[in-house]
Amino acid sequence: MTMPTRREAMALISGALASTTLGGSVFAQGAPKKGGTLRISAPANPSSLDPATGGAGSDHAFLFTMYDTLTEWEFETLKPKPGLAESWKFTDPNTLVLNIRSGVTFHDGTPLDAEAVKFNLDRNRSDAKSNIKADLLSVDAVEVTGPQQVTLKLKTPDTALPGVLSDRAGMMVSPTALKAADGGVVTRKPVGAGAYAFVSWADGEKIVVKRNEKYWKPDRPYPDAIEISIIPELTTGARSVTAGQNDLIYQLPPRQKAIIERASSVKVVHGPTLYVFQIFLNWAKPPFDNIKVRQALNFAIDREAFVKAALAGLAEPAYMNLPKAHWAYDAEVAKLYPYDPDKARKLLAEAGFKEGTPIEIGGYTDQDSVQREEILIEQLRKAGINVKFVNGTVAEASAAFFGPEKRGAGLLSAWTGRPDPSLTYSLMFTKDAYYNGGRAPVPTALEAAIKDSRASEDIEVRRKAFATVQRLVMENALVVPLAFQFELVAMNKKVQGYRPNLLGKPKYDDVWLEG
Amino acid sequence: MARRSPVKVIGSRLLQALPVILLATFMVFALLKLVPGDIAVTLAGDNATDARITEIRQIYGLDRPFLVQYGAWLGHVAQGDLSQSLLTGEKVAVSIGRAFPNTLLIVVIALVLALVTGIPMGVIAAIKPNGWVDKLISMIASLGVAVPGFWLAMILVAEFSLKLNWLPATGAKSFSVSPIDAIRHALLPAVAIAAYGMAEVARQLRGALLEVLSSQYVRTLHAKGLSMSRILWQHGLKNVGVNLLTIISLLVNRMLAATVVIEAVFAIPGLGSLIVRGAIQRDFPIVQGVVFTMVVVVIAVNLITDLLCAAVDPRIEQ
Repeated sequence: MTMPTRREAMALISGALASTTLGGSVFAQGAPKKGGTLRISAPANPSSLDPATGGAGSDHAFLFTMYDTLTEWEFETLKPKPGLAESWKFTDPNTLVLNIRSGVTFHDGTPLDAEAVKFNLDRNRSDAKSNIKADLLSVDAVEVTGPQQVTLKLKTPDTALPGVLSDRAGMMVSPTALKAADGGVVTRKPVGAGAYAFVSWADGEKIVVKRNEKYWKPDRPYPDAIEISIIPELTTGARSVTAGQNDLIYQLPPRQKAIIERASSVKVVHGPTLYVFQIFLNWAKPPFDNIKVRQALNFAIDREAFVKAALAGLAEPAYMNLPKAHWAYDAEVAKLYPYDPDKARKLLAEAGFKEGTPIEIGGYTDQDSVQREEILIEQLRKAGINVKFVNGTVAEASAAFFGPEKRGAGLLSAWTGRPDPSLTYSLMFTKDAYYNGGRAPVPTALEAAIKDSRASEDIEVRRKAFATVQRLVMENALVVPLAFQFELVAMNKKVQGYRPNLLGKPKYDDVWLEG
Repeated sequence: MARRSPVKVIGSRLLQALPVILLATFMVFALLKLVPGDIAVTLAGDNATDARITEIRQIYGLDRPFLVQYGAWLGHVAQGDLSQSLLTGEKVAVSIGRAFPNTLLIVVIALVLALVTGIPMGVIAAIKPNGWVDKLISMIASLGVAVPGFWLAMILVAEFSLKLNWLPATGAKSFSVSPIDAIRHALLPAVAIAAYGMAEVARQLRGALLEVLSSQYVRTLHAKGLSMSRILWQHGLKNVGVNLLTIISLLVNRMLAATVVIEAVFAIPGLGSLIVRGAIQRDFPIVQGVVFTMVVVVIAVNLITDLLCAAVDPRIEQ
């Protein structure tokens, strides 16, 4: 690992400043103390508690409590930092050496050594049931090169790996438990090496974890246990916190802020995340096969106004797929699409697009989504673009757009960020990616630039590589980013030390309970 | 005419129930397959490729023909196995076993509340029809029918949980662990559902009683010099017993359905929440399991009602 450069240091500081000024009192008062049960309201039942077989982005809030990852990230910038791997090094572009922390054990007492790490990585990249094979596609072989050292031989240079290993692919599961498990999957009996050990899971109801007394991080964790109640109706979940039945709720929609702040027993924390509302485009068919129409759409949207009207101001206007606080943000790319309805009209005229021709775009039926649509319809109308939203449930509308049906020219949805930006780009902007709805080719320069972004370990070089990637994505207008949602967390005043993070998936590392 | 033995009645009713169960589960299964949305996409995870989704379909047998999939599910059920959630692997029977008591408690309390309030209202209204008491009761009953349960639920929570802090706002507790705590949790949702039941009982009972009270034999009873209260309690209510039982059985079924929305408002992990989660995620073993349970419950309630009606009024059997 290298020392942070000046720009990184500044990003770190500004990130920290942003989270304090925006988030209000995020600093703990008094000295942290052990004890108590942290009661959380979560919006969705996990799809699985096995990191390799689960699918939903909402699973992490559960998984992070039980599984530690090989690498972790800075809360403010998502820069990778040591986790179970105390250090790593690319000895050459095709070789990544991970040095595993000594003395760590899984909850069942199995030592977390090089063999255990190899077992996990091999399972994640080759087991039939693994959902994360794509994350480790660049790995050719995993070798044990010391009792606490593994070496990853790569097919192609892939410096996204340290970031990737902070997510599902880096979550270490006890090999003993995996070998004993039915079908080799620990969906319902997770055994990790995280701060908390699994106790029980009643589907759709509650998950309980208790403190791992042998946890490797000094003094952590503080609470004795965490009880996570699954309450899909967010208004109800928020009520459970104001009524004192739960201590904390995350992923609240912005409109809840004013309501929940009325309760005197509750404090609210928020900070930027990678979660970005955007319009996915199908550039394989008209009208978005024409670059000028896509660009026009980007010019026609007043993102500042969108944030105010649709997200109660609790968001950052998005001009690309990374927010300001991220280490790979590029200020120049962000200037590409100022709000300019006249320019949009001109581009449409040049494209030979007849003003007012209806464009069908998919969307979701929930209240917040429909509100976003209404605002967009009005904004786009001013530029002569007539959008017709066809709504369905999230599952239905998404499958219709991304799946074989190819319904609609676009989809108003969102992108939940990834720990390394190269994943975000390769999952949306390569020819056969699922999130490239039309499966149409992308400019060859972009494919090459995405590959380039994984070639160097040097963060300055990578920053420049991502600037190129982002510029190509936005110049080609392959997507219409709208706004980065803020993480909105409401909690009981006795909850201390909670910090929002840029990934927007809560971690309770420093949380303790007062009184 | 010869009386049929209750065993025969039950036997023939159970035989009739079989096609109902088959038809209901088949239709729900077909609907789940017809509506867009694919659990394979959910199972494949966030970073899925088309190839991975195809692979998932094979692993979970989702690529088999529709009828084969239904047949496989039915085969398991015939062996007493409701199979397991495709997503989380929890046994559907376990999920239902945990969720059903929560739903049942709400429905039972709601039913008791509806009867305790609805029957007196219906009787009082029927004694002096078109008087001001009757009109007041009619008004309350109309309100009870018209007010949506979920809205009433939110008002109740705002008042009794958030403001007065008398009852919990969300969740459920196990009745076997702590009956009092369980009832405290179930009370507000039960009240929200009971409002409709109360109105329905009051209105139906009033109508039925009015009919009985205007009949010729009641006139005879009056002529005999029997007091109004004896006519009412000894003869009137006995004769509307069948109507009341029918109302109750309809109410139970209706209240079971109402829990789907009410459980969401109160975050109660019951059958309603379970089937909603299953349907949204296209986790069809869960949906099928809950539908199966609901159908069995409804059939059982109808059967018991029929037997009770026959006991109250032996003419029905013929």
